[in-house]
Amino acid sequence: MVRSRKNGDQLIVYLSGEIDHCTADKLRGEIETLLGDARIRRLVLDFENVGFMDSSGVGMIIGRYKTMRERGGSVSACGMKPTLEKLFRMAGLHRIIAQEEPGRQDEA
Amino acid sequence: MNNQMELSFLSLAENEAFARMVISAFLMQLSPTMSLISEVRTAVSEAVTNAVVHAYAGRTDGRIFLRASLDAQKVEIEVEDFGCGIADVAKAMTPFYTSQPDQERTGMGFSLMLSFMDGVHVTSAPGSGTLVKMTKLLHEEDVDAV
Repeated sequence: MVRSRKNGDQLIVYLSGEIDHCTADKLRGEIETLLGDARIRRLVLDFENVGFMDSSGVGMIIGRYKTMRERGGSVSACGMKPTLEKLFRMAGLHRIIAQEEPGRQDEA
Repeated sequence: MNNQMELSFLSLAENEAFARMVISAFLMQLSPTMSLISEVRTAVSEAVTNAVVHAYAGRTDGRIFLRASLDAQKVEIEVEDFGCGIADVAKAMTPFYTSQPDQERTGMGFSLMLSFMDGVHVTSAPGSGTLVKMTKLLHEEDVDAV
């Protein structure tokens, strides 16, 4: 199970490893299970320990963005390496997912 | 330096990571930058994922070929399958087009290959499979050992 932490209406998900078509399905199910808690309004995806991501990961993130948008919530990201930031920009994710500075998500 | 490799593996999702590892290992002889490795392995990941997801569509007994060659100027990579083929290659390469929108697919696979590589050429015919040829030009800042 993916590591996560709840803080009020915020859920931080600590992603790790490689996010591709093979791993994205499982991750999608795990995050959706965590989002079963209807109080959660802010989803923070921590990419600090993600070594690789391709378009399958982008699809998984857009899917969670839709889940959060339906409940009037938001998704943000932190800990991205330059290659991931480039992928985010190419996919247009930077327009719908705010980037937080490291540690910012730990604030109350 | 001139070198070549060829590998074949089954159309299992687990082999997407395997193909990335293999192409990364093959490129190590160039002492490449992280950026070069990252771009090439993303392109390979997208091409192999297309073969697993679309060409063989859930079949795990399909055969995928990964070939690579390098010299001082460029790296050439081929990903070939003998799956269902693509009826309209131009349409398949249109950014954000996907034949499986309900699967959270982005339709960005070919776009990323085109963005990260210097050339992408797709040959395909329904029923006979797909060959994706990609070229990455090497610049002095990309490598130490060309």
